Amino acid sequence: MRILGSIVTLLLLAIPGLPAATFSGSAEVREKLAEAVISAEEKQIQILEDLIETGDPFISKVLTAWRRGELFLIEHEGSTIPALLENADSKEPVKVFILESGEVLKDKSGKELTVIPSRQKTAETTRTLRTQFKKTIDLLGISDPDPKLREKAAFKLGSRADPEYFAALMDRAAIEKNPRVLKKLKEGMAISQLSIGDEKQKVEAAAKLGELRSIGALDRLKKIVSEQEKLAENEKNNDLISEATRSIKTIEDYKGWVDRGETVFRGINYGAVLLIVSLGLAITFGLMGVINMAHGEMIAIGGYSAYVMQKWMTGLYGDEALQWYFLLAIPFAFLTAATAGLLLERSVIRFLYRRPLESLLATWAVSMILQQCFRLYFGAANVQVNSPDWLIGSVSLGDMAFNYNRLFVIVFAAIIVLGTWFLMSKTPLGLSIRAVMQNRDMAASIGIRASRVRIVTFAFGSGLAGLAGCFLSQIDNVGPEVGSKYIIDSFMVVVSGGVGNLFGTVTAALGIGTADRMLEAWSDSPVVGKVMVLSTIIVFLQVRPGGLFAAKSRSLD
Amino acid sequence: MSKLPEFILTVEDVNKSFDGFKAISELNFYMDKGELRTIIGPNGAGKSTFLDLITGKIKSDSGKIIFGEENHDLTKLREYEINRLGIARKFQTPSVYEEHTVYDNIMLSLPESRGVFSSIFFRLDSVARDRIAEILKTIRLQDMERVIAGTLSHGQKQWLEIGMLLVQQPRLLLVDEPAAGMSDDETRRTGELLLSLEGKHSIIVIEHDMEFVRQIARKVTVLHQGKVLKEGSMDSVQSDPTVAEVYLGRKHSTVA
Amino acid sequence: MQFVESRFPRSHLITLAVLAFVTLAIVPLAYSNGIIANHDLQRYGKYLCWAVLATSLNLLWGYTGLLCLGQCVFFGLGGYAFGMYLMLNVGVDPVYKTSLPDFMDFLGYTELPPHWKPFENLGFAMAAVICVPGVMALIFGFLAFRSRITGVYFAIMTQALTFVAWILFLRNEFTFGGNNGFTDFKKILGANLYSHPHTSTNGKELLFFILSALLLIATISLMISLTRTRFGKVQRAIRDSENRVRFSGYCTENFKLFIFTLAGIIAGIAGALWLPQAGGINGDVFFPRESLWVVVWVAVGGRGTIWGPVIGAILINALKSWAQSEYENTWILILGGIFLVIVIFLPGGIASLGKKLPKWFRICRDWIEAFMATRKKKVDPKEGGEGTS
Repeated sequence: MRILGSIVTLLLLAIPGLPAATFSGSAEVREKLAEAVISAEEKQIQILEDLIETGDPFISKVLTAWRRGELFLIEHEGSTIPALLENADSKEPVKVFILESGEVLKDKSGKELTVIPSRQKTAETTRTLRTQFKKTIDLLGISDPDPKLREKAAFKLGSRADPEYFAALMDRAAIEKNPRVLKKLKEGMAISQLSIGDEKQKVEAAAKLGELRSIGALDRLKKIVSEQEKLAENEKNNDLISEATRSIKTIEDYKGWVDRGETVFRGINYGAVLLIVSLGLAITFGLMGVINMAHGEMIAIGGYSAYVMQKWMTGLYGDEALQWYFLLAIPFAFLTAATAGLLLERSVIRFLYRRPLESLLATWAVSMILQQCFRLYFGAANVQVNSPDWLIGSVSLGDMAFNYNRLFVIVFAAIIVLGTWFLMSKTPLGLSIRAVMQNRDMAASIGIRASRVRIVTFAFGSGLAGLAGCFLSQIDNVGPEVGSKYIIDSFMVVVSGGVGNLFGTVTAALGIGTADRMLEAWSDSPVVGKVMVLSTIIVFLQVRPGGLFAAKSRSLD
Repeated sequence: MSKLPEFILTVEDVNKSFDGFKAISELNFYMDKGELRTIIGPNGAGKSTFLDLITGKIKSDSGKIIFGEENHDLTKLREYEINRLGIARKFQTPSVYEEHTVYDNIMLSLPESRGVFSSIFFRLDSVARDRIAEILKTIRLQDMERVIAGTLSHGQKQWLEIGMLLVQQPRLLLVDEPAAGMSDDETRRTGELLLSLEGKHSIIVIEHDMEFVRQIARKVTVLHQGKVLKEGSMDSVQSDPTVAEVYLGRKHSTVA
Repeated sequence: MQFVESRFPRSHLITLAVLAFVTLAIVPLAYSNGIIANHDLQRYGKYLCWAVLATSLNLLWGYTGLLCLGQCVFFGLGGYAFGMYLMLNVGVDPVYKTSLPDFMDFLGYTELPPHWKPFENLGFAMAAVICVPGVMALIFGFLAFRSRITGVYFAIMTQALTFVAWILFLRNEFTFGGNNGFTDFKKILGANLYSHPHTSTNGKELLFFILSALLLIATISLMISLTRTRFGKVQRAIRDSENRVRFSGYCTENFKLFIFTLAGIIAGIAGALWLPQAGGINGDVFFPRESLWVVVWVAVGGRGTIWGPVIGAILINALKSWAQSEYENTWILILGGIFLVIVIFLPGGIASLGKKLPKWFRICRDWIEAFMATRKKKVDPKEGGEGTS
């Protein structure tokens, strides 16, 4: 029963808006807390000390509420009942949850009582009490069921350099099973030692921190070294200086690797986005000889589609729609952009198939018109697109953090590439597309509906751009000019990857994406990164003018 | 191994592959100065590719191509440099300057003043004008000076292109399927023209039209799968069984 | 039959004379009599500079088939080069009390960076206006043409070039004013650049207008002459069949490089003359869209013709300033739509209207005639209907 209660609690705790303390906490803890509320200060301190041992996170929540003035003393039938309210800020009457039992306050007839928060008395706090709150909450942290919270608490406690906290850390370290938390506990202890230990212990601690590769301790170590340098010769602890310096170097080297790893990850992520964008462009350009300068606006359409879907769903279903609207937004973005592409093809592109330079100009005019339309309809400023909770946060490998939304994009890009490859090489439609690409007239004369194939292909390419825009809405801002940001880079991808070649596009996108991000990190400036990438491509085209995987021809032109 | 002085063109051990397909394979070819050589062969034999290699449109994978008494190594030169040595090519599909007049097409092919600055200050003198007029007469377009080349008929365009070659007074002419798309009369006249050039110029002609080949053939080279299959007079080539097999398929297969 | 070409056809000569007359005689006269205000004169001057810019692109695109989507790079470089001179001649500024340009004071410079110093000299600045865009064009062109990048790839690369320039010039550390750029010019060779008060004529506005007009006349004359030479014909041959030109013994890379550099220099000079009339310059001149506007001017006016781009540049910019004030939100839509229609249905631009109009007229007339004929047939007495033959 208690386990079920905890699970339900945890689930409910995830949904914002409900008071934290509604259903959780063991009976014993509740009892103690209720007692604490109405006791004298000395007793309160004692109870709170004792409660640390229990490790029940419920305590932290109650104490936080107490500190914030959200723990109420409800007068009912002559007695004062410590309780939490459904909503502490409400102007309307709300339900009362008795602290001790966790149940809703009812009157004799069994009907739920409601009170208005502003009319109720709140439990008071003194400074001493608040200090104890802090201590209790901090120390509870290292026994929290969630390992991530334990890690955080361990580090925090360590930074306080308090001998009592040190003792708590040591105690916890003895029983801790999670290796990551254990590492953080050791770090915490070592950091404490740097301040509270004797000279020998400080040296040991400095060495230990290097061993543990503690990035968080870097600042402390540096501070120690500079403090030591300022001392007179005979006061210096030379061992400490050398250990600390050594550890600093070890940690910084390690940090360098971590940063590089994260940069590569971000590079792959950017490459994945570029890939989805460029795939559509490569298809329309490579397969049809049409340069579509409005491709960037297809991206914007995708981004705005996500925004529209968000507004629509939250309008219909409220805020909880924020969690799943994105799943609908994906196909919606694809379809809207594909439709836009279709309209574009029928109205403008079809006149321009044999005139590549004119198609460039015409689509650019369309792009300008579309951008202005976006500005007129959605406003010139960026629109807010929210991420669902399941895309927020990250998974960690060692000290490297990999964001969920970025991982999602990478995975999706891979799926799209595979899907496109499958479509192109294994389906009859793909065969028709490739035939029309190579020789439209021949394809038409053997019965392929060339213009229909063209429409489908163009729509598909635009739809891909829409998908990219939808993903971009999660990692970047959506505004009228979002397309132009990515369009030049994706042109570069298509040009260097070799037109009409899927594998080349993939290689080029990932290559350019990673190179761009890595150069940006290395040179500390997005500008230099871009310049170098572009220069490299220009030089690269010297050697292979047709791109990575160019098509060779036997005719004169 | 250096070439003997009489050869205008020496091709030795030349190879060229396209993505795994071996278009030219260990090709050896020797041509005398002033000779009119005809090259024939089935489709895909490598005839046009051979011309591409000579003119520098394509780079060979290996081998030597030596031109003239000065022993120019053509594999190391760019297209315009090869042309300036005196090698001119007529392409399979007529490539003239479609937007320019007939007159300008010829004028642009004059071998003088082909640099940037020299072409800015170039002036047509009477010598050049006479030469252009003469060429126009030879190719029977003297009344169509101001006509835009793009509007000419296919046969006229072929002749215009030939005219563009002649005005350069090239030492080696490479003519790719000159009779294609021409009427019998035009074909015959083309043959006569080529024969009249023999001796003063060296000429390689690629052709499919056997009537035409018979008209102009001196020495004939048969190419097959990128190699020289047989060389000799028209009769010896025609009666050769391997050539027949290559052109017509195996003796025992049923060919319609 | 002899075939003689005149170096300078009469029609062009007449148009040039008209242009000269209007810009060198009528406008200055109107200006000194107060009919044209200072800011209007500057606007006309800008139109003329843009016409030169369009002509430079025409030289590349209309006549050689090289679509450059980054012509504003050279325009901007010329502008910046001249701008550097002007920035160093604002005198000691009242706020920061130094002779350094404002933005340098703002960024904490204590002395002029070395590459700025020579620009105190007008002669050097003028040389830079020619050399900087020229060298840039030379390098980029060399790299591009040597690897035989043409057509759409070339166009994309030029867009990338202008994009890079945009990013670079917007950065404050690039020492060119960052995203504020150069503004607030005051003097040239000691004399006031702009008239004080606005209604007087003691500034150099007229000078720059006339210089712009002269530049346009000179550029057009150059175009006319060049296209009539053999060089001009080779140019157009390269546009139509570059391979054939190569196989006729021309090093086409050299030709393209020469034209590209020449066009770049012309654009640079235009940028330099444009600058004082615009009053300022910043990194946005390199924004990719600006170069695309130039293409619009040339395409609408008629590429491959001498006067088309001039008409296009002036017309579109006049239209733009009118539409921008009348239709703040939708002028882009209008202009974009017009451009779209022209690109699809009138690829030769306005200049080709001369040929197209009669054709369209004939088509309409034929259609009407055919329609009338079928109507007549319908009421033919042979069929038993009312007779109205």
